Amino acid sequence: MKLMVIPNSINGIKDSLDYVDAFLIGIKDLSVNMNFTVSIDELGSILDIIGNKELFISINKNLSNDDIEIVKDIMIKLNEYKVKGLFYYDVGILNIYNSIEVSYDLVWASEHAATNCDTINYWNSFGVKYCMVSSDITIKDVYEIRNKTSCKLIVPIFGYVSMFNSKRHIVKNYLDYFNLNDSFKINYMEKEGEVYPIIDNKLGTTVYTNYILNGIIEYNNLKNNGIDYLLFNGFNIDSNKFIDVLKKVKDINSDNVLECYEYINSLFDNTSTGFLYQDTIVKVKKDEK
Amino acid sequence: MKNKVELLAPAGDLERLKIALKYGADAVYVGGPVLNLRANAINFTFEELENGINFAHSLGKKVYVTVNIILHNQELNEVDKYLKKLSEIGVDAIIVSDPCIITRAKKYNIDIHLSTQQSTLNYEAVSFWKKHGVSRVVLARECSREDIKLIKEKVDIEIETFIHGAMCAGYSGRCIMSNVLTNRDANRGGCSQICRWDFNLYDENMKEIKGDMPFTFCSKDLSMLKVIPDMIDLGISSFKIEGRMRSVYYIATVVSIYRKIIDNYYQNIDDNEYNNYEAILRNCANRDSTIQFYNGIYDSSCSYYNGRLEVSNQDFLGIVIDYDKDSCLATIEQRNYFKKGDLVEIFGPNHNYVIEINEIYDEDDNLIDVVRHPRQVVKIKVDCQLDTDDMLRIKK
Repeated sequence: MKLMVIPNSINGIKDSLDYVDAFLIGIKDLSVNMNFTVSIDELGSILDIIGNKELFISINKNLSNDDIEIVKDIMIKLNEYKVKGLFYYDVGILNIYNSIEVSYDLVWASEHAATNCDTINYWNSFGVKYCMVSSDITIKDVYEIRNKTSCKLIVPIFGYVSMFNSKRHIVKNYLDYFNLNDSFKINYMEKEGEVYPIIDNKLGTTVYTNYILNGIIEYNNLKNNGIDYLLFNGFNIDSNKFIDVLKKVKDINSDNVLECYEYINSLFDNTSTGFLYQDTIVKVKKDEK
Repeated sequence: MKNKVELLAPAGDLERLKIALKYGADAVYVGGPVLNLRANAINFTFEELENGINFAHSLGKKVYVTVNIILHNQELNEVDKYLKKLSEIGVDAIIVSDPCIITRAKKYNIDIHLSTQQSTLNYEAVSFWKKHGVSRVVLARECSREDIKLIKEKVDIEIETFIHGAMCAGYSGRCIMSNVLTNRDANRGGCSQICRWDFNLYDENMKEIKGDMPFTFCSKDLSMLKVIPDMIDLGISSFKIEGRMRSVYYIATVVSIYRKIIDNYYQNIDDNEYNNYEAILRNCANRDSTIQFYNGIYDSSCSYYNGRLEVSNQDFLGIVIDYDKDSCLATIEQRNYFKKGDLVEIFGPNHNYVIEINEIYDEDDNLIDVVRHPRQVVKIKVDCQLDTDDMLRIKK
């Protein structure tokens, strides 16, 4: 089971090199929920830094027609680099992928739709080799998916989780409407004492969970069930603490999982296992018929 | 002449299905007993669905069933049995978000419409869906006029777009705020509409940023009233009205207005009633509306900051349940307070009158001056012919 990281910066890549197996990097203007992005021309220098580690690229915004030719061009150019896989959200990318010849694989990264084995197999039948499973399903569902698909699975295991994406500039619109000033890159919204990071940038708005997902308690089971990658997201995490997390997980073994889990919890005051052990509710009213 | 655009209305139950079709919808979309995104609505039983489909087909109209949740493993077993049953009762199409349903629906020869939950915004994505069995794509509400135009030019497929109703603040399918804040699953029908909540907003140093109204994601509603002719010219196949949980009055009002605009366009009739339509629709929904992303502008003019001070609509006075030609008495079921002397607009699929209420009789034929009890059945004198399901609203 490999460890994959969404780093916060180039320095973050350098600092985490000894502890991880793969990096996920966004492309400028085409990737949402990424801590930093690079242009296609900068990829060479990133590859120089990561050496023999795996590089995955994320182009995960909802694509408009205007993006299509740009994306196609980048997808072709990506083949010139040693890229292992391309995370995508928009189905348009799969359509392009099947019309060009490239050697890297596709990773279906829908955020909230990879919730069952049949849908993952549906995309697998079109040549999608990897899937990032949703962070809003239970661990039981993850294992059932594992048993019923040959797709390589990436499980988000640590970090803030994106829970909302919009084309709208939700914060900017509010500031504009009430003539308020704010030039910060990140804001926070609060309800009943719970605080949620919110980012409004060129591509729209993203809101993250109030908690830092810590699913490391499942490490042994994830490994034994044949999960391929664990994903660590450095977004809004203190860089030193993030490295501490990665170091600790690097040294994990079947006997010290609980210690590792508790150590990570001790670093932050808002960790949670998210939906790993809690299924969501669908129907709240008693059936009226 | 081009194929006439379809007017597609929501229907939360059999009553609303019939109202929508009677008031001019060409098709309705409804939620069946399971696997739809309005898990907390009443929804249709199979028997009601079959009745609704038969009723629609008797008018030469269609019924689409939403099978638009994102499935979890535990729901997979329900799908085949459900699709088979839908096929047997003659559903015209299903509206699907999770693509694993596409493969299964093909087995039962059910037409597949791709839900807006897939947030389809570009021609490459539309092209993919066309190749793989989808007959119609409901585009993302974030599409601009130019987006729709290019998609239509590049891919020969039926396109459906929303023309009226509430908007998600985020990309459909890309929001689990409801899951995180209330544990109710947004993508499986439990959305608790967090985007309409108020929040406190802070900068990165946790200093509060406060306007005159609380911070919210809330957006104005969508209303394409004034651009319908332009949208028809784009070659869109179906115009969709949002709101499966809306009232019969809302359905009747919105459907009848859009029906009129569409028909006038095809008959080359200049329609000068837009301001009137706009006022009626605004009162009906109690919310401001805009054309949202259609013109490519989605700034603060599309946002809605009102501190949740919406008041309930009281325009809708009652519904006609009978009319006696000989006595010229209409039997009305009351929905909001009205009284003798009120100026009232009576509208229906076939007519539109303005009358002053002069005579009101209770169920014992006593003359009364006011109708104040919910669902109270009264008779009023109306000289012009009315039909069952005509509606009364206060004339402003």
